[in-house]
Amino acid sequence: MTRPVGHASHGAENRPRATDGRAPDVFSRDGWVPMRQFRDDDEVDVAIVGAGCGGSVLATKLAEAGLSVVIFDAGPFWRPLSDFASDEREQEKLYWLDDRISGGDDPIEFGANNSGQAVGGSTTHFQMVSLRFRPDWFKSRTRLGYGVDWPVNPDEMWRYYAEIERALSISGPLAYPWGPPRGRYPYRAHEVNAAGQVLIRGAEALGVAWAPTPLCTVSAPRGKSPPCVYRGMCKIGCSTNAKQSMLVTYVPRALRAGAEIRDLAMVAEVHCDAQGRPDGVVYHRDGAWRRQKARVVAVCGYSIETPRLLLNSASPAHPQGLGNGNDQVGRYLMVHGNNAVWATFDDEIRWYKGPPSMACCEHWNYADDDPSKDFFGGYSFMSQGPLPGDFAGTLVTGTGMFGNDLRRRMALYNRMAGLKIVGETMPRPDNRVRLSDDADDLGLPLARVDFSFCDNDRRLHRHSERFMRRMLDAAGGRDLLSSDSTAHLMGGCRMGSSPENSVTDDEGRVWGVPNLYICDGSLMPTGGGVNPAMTILANAARIGDRLARRARQGAS
Amino acid sequence: MSDTFRSPYPGWDVLSKWSTPSYNEQTREVLNRRIDPPAPHALEREVYRTLCALCERVIPQHEDTQGPPPAPIAPWIDAAIAGGRSSGTRYDGMPDTPTAWRRGLAALDAEARQRHGQPFHRVPAQAQDAILRDVGKGQVKATAAWEGLEPRTFLRKVALKQIVEIYYAHPRGQSEIGYGGPASPRGYLRLGAGRTDEWEAPEGQWDRLREPAR
Amino acid sequence: MMAPTVLPSARTDRRPKRIGIGPLMTGLGLATMAAILAGRQFRQATPPRPHPPGSPRAHPDTAAEEARRRALRRSRDGAAILSFSVLADSGMEHYRGGYYHKTMYAAPATAAVSIAANLAEPGRRSGGGGALSAVHLASAAVGLVGLRYHLHNLRSRDGGLSWNNLFYGAPLGAPGALVTAGLIGAVSHAMARADHDAPAALSRRHGRQLAALSTVALMGETAEVALLHFRGAFHNPAMFLPVTVPPLAAAGLAYHAWRPDPAHRPALRRVLQAVNALGLVGTGFHVLGVARNMGGWRNWSQTALQGPPVPAPISFTGLGLTGLAALDLLNVDEETPR
Repeated sequence: MTRPVGHASHGAENRPRATDGRAPDVFSRDGWVPMRQFRDDDEVDVAIVGAGCGGSVLATKLAEAGLSVVIFDAGPFWRPLSDFASDEREQEKLYWLDDRISGGDDPIEFGANNSGQAVGGSTTHFQMVSLRFRPDWFKSRTRLGYGVDWPVNPDEMWRYYAEIERALSISGPLAYPWGPPRGRYPYRAHEVNAAGQVLIRGAEALGVAWAPTPLCTVSAPRGKSPPCVYRGMCKIGCSTNAKQSMLVTYVPRALRAGAEIRDLAMVAEVHCDAQGRPDGVVYHRDGAWRRQKARVVAVCGYSIETPRLLLNSASPAHPQGLGNGNDQVGRYLMVHGNNAVWATFDDEIRWYKGPPSMACCEHWNYADDDPSKDFFGGYSFMSQGPLPGDFAGTLVTGTGMFGNDLRRRMALYNRMAGLKIVGETMPRPDNRVRLSDDADDLGLPLARVDFSFCDNDRRLHRHSERFMRRMLDAAGGRDLLSSDSTAHLMGGCRMGSSPENSVTDDEGRVWGVPNLYICDGSLMPTGGGVNPAMTILANAARIGDRLARRARQGAS
Repeated sequence: MSDTFRSPYPGWDVLSKWSTPSYNEQTREVLNRRIDPPAPHALEREVYRTLCALCERVIPQHEDTQGPPPAPIAPWIDAAIAGGRSSGTRYDGMPDTPTAWRRGLAALDAEARQRHGQPFHRVPAQAQDAILRDVGKGQVKATAAWEGLEPRTFLRKVALKQIVEIYYAHPRGQSEIGYGGPASPRGYLRLGAGRTDEWEAPEGQWDRLREPAR
Repeated sequence: MMAPTVLPSARTDRRPKRIGIGPLMTGLGLATMAAILAGRQFRQATPPRPHPPGSPRAHPDTAAEEARRRALRRSRDGAAILSFSVLADSGMEHYRGGYYHKTMYAAPATAAVSIAANLAEPGRRSGGGGALSAVHLASAAVGLVGLRYHLHNLRSRDGGLSWNNLFYGAPLGAPGALVTAGLIGAVSHAMARADHDAPAALSRRHGRQLAALSTVALMGETAEVALLHFRGAFHNPAMFLPVTVPPLAAAGLAYHAWRPDPAHRPALRRVLQAVNALGLVGTGFHVLGVARNMGGWRNWSQTALQGPPVPAPISFTGLGLTGLAALDLLNVDEETPR
């Protein structure tokens, strides 16, 4: 791992912090909480790879059920109050900056775009948009005629959304305009900033509904979290702990329930016994290679690292990679289209104040009968508030501007507003993760990712661009500028009902490898038209409950 | 349109609130390090000069004789190359980021030699701009130098992107666009359009963006 | 903390022409003190008329007289506290709104004058009396105008009458407090001007007026608090206190005004005293609430304004006192001995 990246990391990137029976107290500047510790040759019940959405929730559920759990995370264990600076360059230390080889017709951008490397995973840098799937999407093949069905019960998922939203105190509107009724969000929605008000104006002009975005940052005090101070640096790490990332919610909970977390621990391989049955993980920490014994291994590394780990865990019993007997590992990778339209206004909007996406519109996720809808799937869109370096990057990669032309364009920063979609892409087998011939610093083959949009994806993008242009125009915006990019990652080791076309069953158990689980965003068979975090979390809670129940019954 | 740049926020400096609750300890720590980069040691001197010239074309800082001191950009790129730092993405057909920089800078020199018989950093600014525009369109002349390095991808996704990310994360870049600057523990109160907090930039003087320079 | 090696350039940082929060707080404090002093000074300079010899007033106080005097003190102080709450709260909140509309200065200015006018009671019948009456009514009028402005603010924000605007737009209840303070002041003024041989029925009427005002104001304030504590998701169970106790007091007071029964008085008195206490307890909680924001009181330029608003809860004490004044008057009966 090419670390350290930051200049104010206070050692978090150099030496593991969670050692000697204690872990960082994330609500302090330099304090500790007690942590149970296991030895490598203790056969723990579950070894979890990755302390992101999937891993943190799973660890909590299992530890609270009395299982012995060790979580491995490649990234540092931050204390946001003292480690997170108000600086875009410094905060690149939150991202997975090691190379992924990116190919295909529409190569995906990684790093800061969609990949975290920290205890807490991508939730340390996510922008906290907390939307639920439209329930029909869990059965998109049967009900809507595209994609595949999830092997889950939509009503059950709806209940798990509520559980997660309560656990994270999502701050959302009282009346949500789309989808079946949902209970009241635990906390009230935040005040919509000027950038969001542009969306509101545009929506009212075009006659579509809008809502204050349900956000994973608190609008009132909660435990040790103060309410959001609207500093707008969510994407580079919340330094106040208002953001309810995994780092300040499920991770402390898992620790209190007796789980151990090992930071700066890169798992290189799921180790298998002579019969090909996983019996632990091989990992690199503190300058040495080690192996932890475990009865069950759960891989929660997200859409790139989970398939990469399985493929890197080939053995005589699993010559193509663990769980890859049918060449399904790494396939059906999805992203969200993240096309945007930007406009300049007469008023100073100063979109940098507050979380980036304070107002949202899910109209096109539900407008099945609209004659203009010429694509399957859906998209939502939100107001924007990029930080200066981020926006400058968008400008130059999109337009190639430089010099004083660029500076003049950037100087309009305070008068700009934007709309950006989260657009569903179709699951396709050749959008996939494989191993490349190049290796990282530890000698592990890098992931090679190939991705191409399909015609449906492109129709969706064009539709969204037309609509967002109309909306910004109606809101009074001028000098419209388009950009395209992708966001999020989904799929790669999808759930399904058959080993022929999926990697795991409905409980995340890898087909043919009974004590190997996957619990993260790579399980998603379809991507939906909303940010994936809540869905990944709800699914992880569901799987965690199932696994805990099995453990109590002594089955696994 | 003239080619000078006049910030709409001539009086604004994000550093002016250094001693307020808008800055925390770690942010001050970081910024103190940022203005004091390590001496360049990854690139050879001539290549480093081309890097400096490139940075200056992308953000013509040294023209502003009255403004604040220029933000160091090239030294930080050199440091990143020395550290083997990547952005997390290596596009198919491209080398890793440090190699991309080295080859890209060499290719810019090759372009300049092909067109003007001089390395990039010795060529006049307008000619440098012309080279960059051509590279941005993929219209390269020194094709051998660009082998294994896609010109547009290098320029936009490696060079321009990393240069502007450094500049606009620096107080100078932030101040010239009227960005609020560091904000922790103190964030913002007034979120509505046309409303500002006392610790933000005052309202912009927008004619400065339009008027020709004196 | 080290200064950066790259010092801010020699350009002067042009601040917008707006006072900082420090000067604002100082100004509000000074305005409060000035208002208190002015009011008391006016009161001392215009003592009540001396009692003509032989009038009933020349004898020791009756119970009724005692009650009237107590009630006047309470309603006067209650209205003054209410006005103080308006001064500090509107001063701060309008500051947060940037005083973008010049009329926004009217709220704290009127509140300051209202403090003075209330503390000036009892004022003389002639001269000061008329001016005081006018000030009270003007305060109420300014409050009504404020209500109209606040309603307009809500409707004109993007999204119109949405929850987002109800939560974060101009609060409707706040100008109502100024209306209430003005009207209570007007009643106090009437009480102060009443002849000392005025019939008990007049005192009871004043009692009913004060009861009506307190009841309506308590319910209005409860609604406002309910909205804002709901916005805060009632994250602390204590946040339920100001939406349960005051309505109880209001209901009790309203019933008592309709059917005065001395047997109810002790219980009602305790409930009203609880409302008074809520004003102080609430202030304490709000101070803690500000401390709980990011950066606590050290970051006060943001946290004091982000909320919860420290000057708001004391208005309950103002209303509690007014309610107690009503209670004093509702049972006044000349014939009842001490």
